Amino acid sequence: MKQGLEKKRLKENFSKEILNFFKKKKFIFTDLDLLIDTNLLTERSGEQFKKSALTYKDLLGKEISLRPDLTVSTALKYIQEKKVKEEKYCYYGSAYRLDKTGDLKVFDQLGCEIINPSNKNSSLLLIDSILEPIRKIKKLEIIIGDVGLFKILIDELDLPERWKLRLIRHFSRREYFIDLLKRLETNYDLDQVTIDVDTQRLQDLIRIDQNKIIGGRTIAEIVKRFQKKLKDPRDGYKGKLNVRIIKDYLKINLPLQKAEKTVITFFIKNKLPTKNIKNYFKKIILINKKIGKKYVISFKTDFGRNADYYTGIVFMAYTKKKSQIVELARGGEYSNLLKTLGYKKNIFALGGVINLNQLINL
Amino acid sequence: MKKIKIGLPSKGRLRENSINFFQSKNLKVVNAFGDRNYFFNIEKNNKVEGIFLHAREIIERINDGTLDIGISGLDLLKEFPEVYSENVKIFQKLNFGFADLVVAVPKDWLDVQNMADLEEVSFNFREKHTRRMRVATKYPNLTESFFLSKGVSQFRVVPSLGATESYPFTGSAELITDITSTGSTLKANNLRIINDGSILKSSACIFVSKKFLKNKFLTNFK
Repeated sequence: MKQGLEKKRLKENFSKEILNFFKKKKFIFTDLDLLIDTNLLTERSGEQFKKSALTYKDLLGKEISLRPDLTVSTALKYIQEKKVKEEKYCYYGSAYRLDKTGDLKVFDQLGCEIINPSNKNSSLLLIDSILEPIRKIKKLEIIIGDVGLFKILIDELDLPERWKLRLIRHFSRREYFIDLLKRLETNYDLDQVTIDVDTQRLQDLIRIDQNKIIGGRTIAEIVKRFQKKLKDPRDGYKGKLNVRIIKDYLKINLPLQKAEKTVITFFIKNKLPTKNIKNYFKKIILINKKIGKKYVISFKTDFGRNADYYTGIVFMAYTKKKSQIVELARGGEYSNLLKTLGYKKNIFALGGVINLNQLINL
Repeated sequence: MKKIKIGLPSKGRLRENSINFFQSKNLKVVNAFGDRNYFFNIEKNNKVEGIFLHAREIIERINDGTLDIGISGLDLLKEFPEVYSENVKIFQKLNFGFADLVVAVPKDWLDVQNMADLEEVSFNFREKHTRRMRVATKYPNLTESFFLSKGVSQFRVVPSLGATESYPFTGSAELITDITSTGSTLKANNLRIINDGSILKSSACIFVSKKFLKNKFLTNFK
């Protein structure tokens, strides 16, 4: 086990070397804010976030948190500096999170982010930039997943719209997702008795001022959704079959080289249209072509479900020490994050970090 | 010899029912210094000393060891962090103080019948208003766990100290979770309970500290 001073020296050397490499790839070094307005984080990640962030109130009662990750800090910087075009950031700093017992864990990270990229091959550039500094590590392995592919699969299934939205929204919440599949299998999600009673009341609502607001929602909005709900198919949508397809899809785990063929065959076998998936796969094919021979890369459809802001390709680099997985780097594409933090629209962005604490302990 | 320390609720029906319950077990509560005094004794029992406290504080004091035993609501224990349940044990559920913690929405939200609807509406709401739907409650922890277990993640809690039913109509929140026994207060305030929106069925309980679990005094309640 390496001791304090040795660790410090190693950290300094690694960080200098890696940051220089990032700079060569034209990433601009940036200092990120240590503190983040808790409101912004709660708006993005919800109430559950508070349990994992170290938060305190300032003298005016405003809640402030130590940054729980550096991607959010980078996105906030982009927004605060009113950027509109591509920005390529790199950084070195710590992320602070509380574990389940309430102990503070500090993660020293080196990372880079590309926000609003102008280049189509930005995903390849980012993944390659993150992996190159750790390339020589023994038994390095990479996993790639793609949350966007899952979305395409769900869109192609014969399911009511509400079910498609639910499955996509909750893909990152594994336990609840299993629960959802159980419900989908039994086709249970609507109560016919209540619908009948409310259908009668609907006539009263239609007669009153449609702009009236009740509990933050207009009458027009309530009426519209209710009518849409009545038209949405309630049965006969083959819940069991769809659940089987989803479960089978999530079992796909193979070398990246075989990913395209296997996934397309899977779609054909299940009588799903392949046009969208073929188009979408171009990015993964390019990654495989350019770096597929440099690394051992596997493709896992079930990978990338640990954070709700990933929307496309997700990756992780690891090695094994005494048969335990040591996670060295991680990242992915996130298109919705900036809007949830206050940017005017969704923009494509992607980022990745190298876990310095793990690196120096190898 | 160290006296046994008891806490009973200081107000309302819970106080009355707790005193009656003690009396039914031959433990007559005596307020020797008058009704406004917070301390009490048990008639013909000098091994016990008691105090009337807010129901929530009774659980706090059992947890920190100031009290050995007390009566309070199950809802209140469940609202505290899980670590409290290691020190504060439920000795007996009592036959009074029944109340349910439920999710309630404005009655005109016809399209919201169950938590799955709420999940969908909360996403639409966030998209439209670029902020999360607000839930007013006196039970932020229970509310948060329940909502997340039902897939509703797009919300934020607005802590309420009272008159929670009014929040959706004053613009302070869009929906609420609150304790109800008959549902009539919710109904009177134009709210309706969501079909699968029952968070917790609560009643009064005898709570004891972990260290007190084997004390002979507890045989009085069997």
